[in-house]
Amino acid sequence: MGEPPGEADMSARVNEWNPAVEAGAMEGLSFWRETGQRLWASRIARACLAVLAIFFLVALAAELAHDWYAWRDVTPPWQAQNLSARYMPPGPGHWLGTDGLGRDVALRLAQGARIAFHVGVVSSLIAIPIGVLLGCLGGYFGGWVDDLVVWLTTVFAAIPGLLFVLAIAMVVGKGLLGVFLAIGLTTWVSTCRLIRAEVLKQRERGYVRAAQALGFSSGRILFRHILPNVIHVALVSFTLRFPAAIGTEVFLSFLGIGAQNQPSWGTMIAAARLRLWQGMWWELAAVTVAIFAVVLAFNLLGDQLRDALDPRLRTAAVT
Amino acid sequence: MWRYLARRAGQAIPTAIGVVLITFVLFHVVGGSPAASVLGQNADARSLAEFDAARGYDKPLFFGNWAPTRALESVDFKAASPAVRARWHAGETGPLRLEDGEALTLPLAFDLPADERWRLTVIGRGPGFPSEESVAGSAAKHAASDFSTVWKKVFHSVENPEFRASGGWAEISGVKLEKKTRHFFDSQLTDYFRRVLRLDFGTSTSLNQPVIRLLLAGIGPSLALTVPILLIELGVSLTLALLCAYRRGAWLDRSLVAICVALMSVNYLVWIVVGQFVLAYKWGWFPVWGFESVRHLLLPVLIGVATGLGVNIRFYRTILLEEMNKEYVRTAFAKGLSAKKVLFKHVLKNAMGPVITNVALALPFLYTGSLLLESFFGIPGLGYLSLNAIYSADVDVVRAVVLVGALLFIAANILADVALAWVNPRVKLT
Repeated sequence: MGEPPGEADMSARVNEWNPAVEAGAMEGLSFWRETGQRLWASRIARACLAVLAIFFLVALAAELAHDWYAWRDVTPPWQAQNLSARYMPPGPGHWLGTDGLGRDVALRLAQGARIAFHVGVVSSLIAIPIGVLLGCLGGYFGGWVDDLVVWLTTVFAAIPGLLFVLAIAMVVGKGLLGVFLAIGLTTWVSTCRLIRAEVLKQRERGYVRAAQALGFSSGRILFRHILPNVIHVALVSFTLRFPAAIGTEVFLSFLGIGAQNQPSWGTMIAAARLRLWQGMWWELAAVTVAIFAVVLAFNLLGDQLRDALDPRLRTAAVT
Repeated sequence: MWRYLARRAGQAIPTAIGVVLITFVLFHVVGGSPAASVLGQNADARSLAEFDAARGYDKPLFFGNWAPTRALESVDFKAASPAVRARWHAGETGPLRLEDGEALTLPLAFDLPADERWRLTVIGRGPGFPSEESVAGSAAKHAASDFSTVWKKVFHSVENPEFRASGGWAEISGVKLEKKTRHFFDSQLTDYFRRVLRLDFGTSTSLNQPVIRLLLAGIGPSLALTVPILLIELGVSLTLALLCAYRRGAWLDRSLVAICVALMSVNYLVWIVVGQFVLAYKWGWFPVWGFESVRHLLLPVLIGVATGLGVNIRFYRTILLEEMNKEYVRTAFAKGLSAKKVLFKHVLKNAMGPVITNVALALPFLYTGSLLLESFFGIPGLGYLSLNAIYSADVDVVRAVVLVGALLFIAANILADVALAWVNPRVKLT
């Protein structure tokens, strides 16, 4: 079992030599640039980024359209029922066909992308700060603070995930707020554990010792020196949590406790499921392909990003 | 061995207490009494109060000698809505004014049971208001001039709940009615802990049965579904992962890894919907729905295995590859052992640790069953039970499933540690 080649990451090593240099300054930039270049060099990563860019643009366009119709206070076309155009298979007028109420599947799919994007971002905005903060505090201070953090993560990890999510959504009530909170409050644990482990390693580094010797406050050392060196963990965890959050949202909306009165991928599956038995396959196919593409892109990108960030894995990676 | 077990169990106690606390916070502090959603919008206050009393929701959350009651909602005329003001005959704005000799009529939702002790707190002022205790400054700085002078607070023991202004006018700014608890720590929290220790998980509101009986009834069908899934998945994914590790980097490995990532990315719902539609309905290979024979279980098991395969193969492959990089493997190859022998005799045995941990931590999910598979295929297990409970706001059932699932997870953790020590003599049992 050979020693891993080199230190875990570049900026930490640089900071070790120049303790006075604030982490994330000049050298930190080159670390991120190098990671970016390594990522860009991979064809798979470029394809994933392209898929995700399309997803983002569609979600953005859907958001703008949604806001526009909400501002004008008229029924948007993806909600307007047109019973004379029910169950239209994919064709020139409707690229992806229409559903059982004559609504255009493509437009509803775009609105679903908008909701999926909301869920991924908002639940991350809840989970990642909690995870990073607790992980940093536990890892850096140790002692009873760490005991408390470890206890909290153990307790949250012990509760069966999907049931916990459902229970939170049930208590908060139907709607997207429940989805945000349910996903956000149950998924911070993994981020917290990763960050804590990384901070524990960094705490013993020379640059931290030097900063302590210079008499910097704990807060400054933790958030200006250590945090930039561990934040890449949160980035990887973001790319892994996003597809999981989308999956959970689809599940909750499918069950009818997620998105209410707006087209989400979950509610579309719920509707398309019944029509499938009558031979209307296109709505389900469209949603399936959309979820598949986005989740696959995130999964692959997460792998690539982890490889790009971790020099130890870089040599072992099979591409 | 037994000492080790006892020590690990001791370490798990804080976690178990934490789990009970979390469920308490979720269902009691945040959720509150489910009376309204169970009994419906039009239920009267008396039946809501009876529901609360039967399930302990009428107690204070953590501790206290006095608990709020549904007989009278506390009112604060500084911030009361017009509907509330009308119910109290309190005029348009300002405090409720009583002329000399006039009595305050409490809009009680029902007559107070005589066997309880009640306390009426009234905050008011004026010559007709009894002066015992003053709430100095509490309302004094309030901007509205109507509420700007010093208010007094009196406790009115309520044998007949009446408050009368005597010796002049009185103005009242707030009224609160509370019920005496049996003792200071007679709260929902202690009640909950006591029930959990007695394994009393309450009564289902939708099925009118003790939750514990529902759990016991559901566990069989759930296990019938999840145990085969676990075993088949373990066998298949471990075999394929070994194959990947053996042909590492070759096209077989690479395509299997690619297939795994693709499998992981297909939505769980799509697996079930399409599987049920195509394999059962369209091609008729399996029964579509029901829980009657082994044949009915084939398709759900197949789908269950398929959904978990991608993640598992990748996980086991990573573990095996890590093991393959170790020096003893190189030595074994160097001394001329066949790849088969190295793989099955050396690598697999040494990789058993993470495999065992992974399997042990999956054990609690055998119990909670599969929410979607069970409801799609009509298997009357715990997943089906939980999902229905969530639809009908059956808090006791949901809470019990969450709680028992978490406690089993903690137990599985201990089990995993013991099993790990058992297969690996290097781990010391201390």
